[in-house]
Amino acid sequence: MIDLKGKTILVTGASAGIGAAVAQLCSDLGAKVCITGRNMDRLSEVSKHLSIESELFQADLTLEKDIDDLVKALPCIDGWVHCAGIIEPFPIKFIQSKHIKSMFTINFDSACLLTSKLMQLKKINTSASFVFISSISAQHPYKGGSLYAASKAALESFSRSIALEFSSKGVRSNCISAALVETEMFEKTKNALSEIELLGILSSYPLGIGKPMDVAHASAFLLSNQSSWMTGTTITLDGGLLLNTKK
Amino acid sequence: MEIVDFIAAIEEEFDDLNPGDVSPNSVFRDMEGWSSMHALIFVALIDSKYNVLLNGDELKSCVTIKDLFDITLLKINGGGANT
Repeated sequence: MIDLKGKTILVTGASAGIGAAVAQLCSDLGAKVCITGRNMDRLSEVSKHLSIESELFQADLTLEKDIDDLVKALPCIDGWVHCAGIIEPFPIKFIQSKHIKSMFTINFDSACLLTSKLMQLKKINTSASFVFISSISAQHPYKGGSLYAASKAALESFSRSIALEFSSKGVRSNCISAALVETEMFEKTKNALSEIELLGILSSYPLGIGKPMDVAHASAFLLSNQSSWMTGTTITLDGGLLLNTKK
Repeated sequence: MEIVDFIAAIEEEFDDLNPGDVSPNSVFRDMEGWSSMHALIFVALIDSKYNVLLNGDELKSCVTIKDLFDITLLKINGGGANT
């Protein structure tokens, strides 16, 4: 049984989807959660359903000042699940620097800056565990997803560096490489698909597409002491999708 | 902004289209080999050429090339949510 009692867990991007599910499960498993997001109303709604009283922090992680303020205000943490991120498709030939910036600022830069500042201000307890939500596209790209896939590949690489650099403090860092999960983001991207394309995608998942709680369970395991010998790795959650990948 | 220029930009963008293949009443999802990649190219083309970002709902509401042109024009002129 996974037990997070006594742990303080930071969940970024907690106002919806995977982040909200992670916050819920961590709280159910006994952790005190610190949840962040841009929209305080949505954070408040998430916090209403948590089992243990949580701390809410409004922060736009694309802004360095917000990251500074967040880290100053946070208590010392035993774990962090980084769920903040965007997915915006762009064909390569149309990419402009503004698109690269907007994708990487939230998907990658925020993880780097937050890690750095958490370390600088000594807000990380010994043996803390970091979990970064990545995507199977980091290794298995899709058309139009070059920037998203690259940002997640960078995130996975950064996670491995954390694992190495902070191992002496017992800090662990791992990623969850998720395939399609039923979130608001997916609902938005569905609009660009034809019904045939959508059915094709859905049918390619032997176990169906994921639910936010599927990712939350894997996150809780990585946060827990049960995974204390795991660091610098990536867990794939894909409902069997990659079994059908043509070699 | 004229619809003929809009259509010319689309015809130039897709290798399998020749000048004159597309008309204002062309149903873009009926284009040969239509896929979500084509939808992405439409959105990116309109973004880069006219600095207008169409969201998924707006794209879904369009059927013909003229629909796309009209919503782009509307957003250039200050209508819609994301001009």
